[in-house]
Amino acid sequence: MEQTAPTLAELQTLIEMTGTINMEVFYWWCTGLMIIIHAGFLAYEMGASRLKNALASGVKNILAFAFIIPTFFFFGWWIYLAMYNGFTPDYEAGAAGLPWSMNMGPNLTDNASGIFWGAFVLFAATTASIFSGAVIERIRMSSFLILAIILGSVVWILGAAWGWHPSGWLTVEWGFHDFGAAGCVHMVAGFFALGVTINLGPRIGRFLADGTPIEIKGHSMPMTIIGLMLIIVGFFGFLGGCIIYAGSAQWTTIFGTPVTLSAVSFNTLMALSGGIIGAYFVTRQPFWMMSGALAGIISAAPGLDLYYPPLAFLLGISGGVIAPLADKFITNKFKVDDAVGAFAVHGMGGLIGLIGLGIFASGFPNVIEGAPDVSFTGQLMSAGVMALLGFVPGYGLSWVMAKVNFLRVPPKAEEMGLDIVEVPLEAYPESVPAYSSEMPATKVTATATA
Amino acid sequence: MNSSPITTWEGAEAYFTFADSPTAIMVILGLAVLATAGAVLASVLHENHTYIDYK
Repeated sequence: MEQTAPTLAELQTLIEMTGTINMEVFYWWCTGLMIIIHAGFLAYEMGASRLKNALASGVKNILAFAFIIPTFFFFGWWIYLAMYNGFTPDYEAGAAGLPWSMNMGPNLTDNASGIFWGAFVLFAATTASIFSGAVIERIRMSSFLILAIILGSVVWILGAAWGWHPSGWLTVEWGFHDFGAAGCVHMVAGFFALGVTINLGPRIGRFLADGTPIEIKGHSMPMTIIGLMLIIVGFFGFLGGCIIYAGSAQWTTIFGTPVTLSAVSFNTLMALSGGIIGAYFVTRQPFWMMSGALAGIISAAPGLDLYYPPLAFLLGISGGVIAPLADKFITNKFKVDDAVGAFAVHGMGGLIGLIGLGIFASGFPNVIEGAPDVSFTGQLMSAGVMALLGFVPGYGLSWVMAKVNFLRVPPKAEEMGLDIVEVPLEAYPESVPAYSSEMPATKVTATATA
Repeated sequence: MNSSPITTWEGAEAYFTFADSPTAIMVILGLAVLATAGAVLASVLHENHTYIDYK
């Protein structure tokens, strides 16, 4: 049989297709790893809930994930593509993200849209899960879903369009750099959660009449700690998804600057360990050690592509130290009941990260035409934008919901426990009943036959 | 129901069901939006009903 050598054009086509498929494979597995983040949040929040609320917290978390996906398809992706200038949409750029676009479905000429959309959906769902933990055990499921959709499919992605986009105005105008989405994901979600938590109020029994805080312990600390470790595992998918893999050239950040996975590997692991050590130093508690690991990574996230690894380690330590102290401060000083420290870990971690990059990585050049170098003032002002972008809608919407009595479950339902009232099932029916004799007879019957 | 927008894979681009029918796409998309919004509304009604005993 005669063997014919491939032509240069055939080889070129083969190389390009291999690069394209490798790109798809890379983001496919990043997205899969990011789903582990949600397995982690699920375990984390159920464990942090009391027995009477464990399943309701789980349902809330699962539903947030489920509702973010379609709503991000309906309008989230369009916001990202169109709103990079601020509040004025670029309709031409956004056209590919419209839900009826030919790019938003199987298309043999577009291998990128679906796989990038998928990764961004998981970022979106992460913001909703960050918010979810702060409000467990007393928020209405429906009001939570509405707030989660607004956060996950509108607010954070607007922040991503501004500060995590090749043409985002924060980078073009101020030289903003944030490799690991500490601003648009963590700060926005953390500050959104803070705004809602203020209007939602503390769980019954969280504070004495004189304001003394009473710790409400979750029903399973081991489940919470394992959940946090799963979030860390998923973080590697999250950070992989922060890299642009074009298939035929050097990896880049989302801002177009070159990066290697080696750089991210060095700094992520160093920051993670710093966070654990920092939190251990100030709390000695496993819950805060694992939360500190998250805070550590987030505190170094904007510069995971740039830092000397021991500097990422030190930033991780600062995140691990500051997060539990910040949580204690807002609890004791402002009587805010953030059930899992979401604001302290994600909001404060993101803030440390953005400002830290301004302090330690000023002068790094941007490659976007006309964009200034990374600077302290650019990072500081951008952090302010992210904080406001999260806090204002979270506070404003929840304020309206609270005014019309739509934010919180009735006190009697809260005392009874949301598993029986709302789900209605019990987490561990053979060992510990989750309802009391004060429960309406109709509900007990319904539960027994469910 | 023939929902295929293509008759051959040669030169195919967007090939998802009803890709050549904007009307069908809008109807399906509209139903998906309604289903999503309806599920949130159902959650509101479920809670209003549930909480009657706990007012």
